[in-house]
Amino acid sequence: MTGISIGCAAIIVAISIGNGAQNYLETEIIGGMKLDEITVTPQGSSGQGEVSGPAPGADRGLLTDDKVQVIQGFDHVKSVIATKQLGYFRAISSDNLINDGFNVVAVDLSKLKEQGNRFKEGGALEQIGAMVLNYGATTGWKDAETSERLMNMINTDPNNPKLWEEYQMYESTVSEMHGKNIQLESMDADKKQLSPQLYVGGVLDVPTGRDAQFAFYDRKAYISFDTAEWLTNSLNLQNRTTSKQRVYDSLTIKVDDLQSIKPLEDLISKLALNASDNLAMRDQVASQLDTFKAIALGIGVFILLLASISIIVAMTMSTHQRRRQIGIMKVLGANMPQIRNMFIVEASLLGLLGGLLGIVFAFLIIKGLNSFIMASAGMSGLQIAVTLETLPIGIAFAVMTGIFSGIYPAISAARTNALLAIKRD
Amino acid sequence: MLRLENVSHSFKNGNEVLKVLHNIQFEVQKGEMIALLGSSGSGKSTLLNLMAGLMKPTEGHIYIADQDIVKYGENKLAVFRRKHIGFIFQAYELIPTLTIRENVELPLVFQSVSPSKRRKKAMELLEMTGIGDKASLYPSQLSGGQQQRVSIARSLITEPSVIFADEPTGNLDTKTEEEIIRIMMALNESMKTTFVIVTHEMEVAAQMKKTIMLRDGYLVQPEDYITPAAGQRGPNGPSSLPGVPVHTEEAGEVS
Repeated sequence: MTGISIGCAAIIVAISIGNGAQNYLETEIIGGMKLDEITVTPQGSSGQGEVSGPAPGADRGLLTDDKVQVIQGFDHVKSVIATKQLGYFRAISSDNLINDGFNVVAVDLSKLKEQGNRFKEGGALEQIGAMVLNYGATTGWKDAETSERLMNMINTDPNNPKLWEEYQMYESTVSEMHGKNIQLESMDADKKQLSPQLYVGGVLDVPTGRDAQFAFYDRKAYISFDTAEWLTNSLNLQNRTTSKQRVYDSLTIKVDDLQSIKPLEDLISKLALNASDNLAMRDQVASQLDTFKAIALGIGVFILLLASISIIVAMTMSTHQRRRQIGIMKVLGANMPQIRNMFIVEASLLGLLGGLLGIVFAFLIIKGLNSFIMASAGMSGLQIAVTLETLPIGIAFAVMTGIFSGIYPAISAARTNALLAIKRD
Repeated sequence: MLRLENVSHSFKNGNEVLKVLHNIQFEVQKGEMIALLGSSGSGKSTLLNLMAGLMKPTEGHIYIADQDIVKYGENKLAVFRRKHIGFIFQAYELIPTLTIRENVELPLVFQSVSPSKRRKKAMELLEMTGIGDKASLYPSQLSGGQQQRVSIARSLITEPSVIFADEPTGNLDTKTEEEIIRIMMALNESMKTTFVIVTHEMEVAAQMKKTIMLRDGYLVQPEDYITPAAGQRGPNGPSSLPGVPVHTEEAGEVS
């Protein structure tokens, strides 16, 4: 029965780990993938909205306002947000804190919420010079002296883990940025130049389903297209687009149904644009997860197989010891099916008891595993729980193991020769 | 009730064939109580196993309740035994993990009789055999005589056509032996159940109304019976075994 208990516990634990990992992946990884999104980029470009020279027909692959209007009219399109990358900038705040850099992206700020963003503080201001920082862009701010000291030390001793630890600590620290003014630093002909003051009108929260420890790597500052134009002129940033219309680097489309992603991508490609989604990545993660689950289940089944062998041996011995009783029962009128069924019922009850004990084992093992995960990896998102639907599966496996293991001893018992069994030496 | 026609049986021992029963032929009427007497090695246990359907004879037919059990397969024989045959063993053969009442009920379990009916019938029989107050005890808590009473009650619970008792007093002292024989005779009288008692003890056989004697696998003429006490001819005489064909050893014929 111990073997069955361990096997049953192994299966429950395996499924629970699989489910826990699946939940973790769905919330922390697949959730962050934004499966209901299609990313559209210009054709014949690297996604930067730039075309190489004013060749005839070069504008055909651009992501223009007209195309955005057309895409907005497609069925199943919930919202569309066009973006234009201004580049990666070092930033200096009004209280002299320095950030090593974040991406500045021009968007329609009023659509940030539509894309699932939540404002932690403030909101989207429409006036020129306003910006919205995402969660990542509120981290990594440090005073000039610390910034310089750290950079120098890392340059001189890049393999010092303690330095990187300190650097990481500063990089993950969140600063209160709402209401502050920020200047962006750009290089123009090897000369540093600062942008006019930009006002942090809003700060976004960690995206739903993402862990803060992953979110701080994604650093973005959002500005309106008018602010982008103003900033481009102020910093003399190059804008080589030949089109008279506003052109974008990318378009993020939210759809109301995952099934409509592929047909929509086909339609978008007819507009001479590139479209991509995260479904393939999800499938890849799901496939890896299935493999993991299969391995865990295989381990459980293997343990049950070993348990099964021990049951066969134990029951065969028990059958032998009770040979005389079987003989008496046969003499008293028990036929082969009755003897066989009696042993199979006994084996299945043994399996059931083993399964119930296995559930207790599984709870204890998972409790221990959760403590271990928390203590060693600190992964608060990866918590394993025994779900109710796992229990009947574990019990079913245990009972089936009992029954299958009991078949041979039961048949052997049923075939006992009554006369030989009751014969006394 | 029980009829044997030319029953012979042989065992194979390597290439050698050992014939242990020779043309056994007799009949027992319903409600009769007979002793099957014979010394060790006479073939009486083999004959009992054949009559109980635990073995098949090499030759001949065995009829119980007008059914030739020789033709039946193992499962059909099990069903037949459950309905028509009761057993009383020398060593009682009670299941040690069951209570006395459960032991008595056991044959009815195989007939799928409802628990309430089984219980009622078992208690009636335990009362009849005088151990109704021991129903909830286990076999190990009972004396040999009491265990044999349980065995008798168990054999009667299916209301069988015939009860085979294999040396039922073999493990008992003289006083208890008399008691057990008295109980069986009383039950035979009151329930009209046919009893075939296999024994090697003349004293037991002497108490039966009829005796069939086996010697070296042959039925012995009643005239040849020798009572151990008197050194005289058997108690029943030739007329007490009507219809029993007797082997004439000299000629090897059956009359």
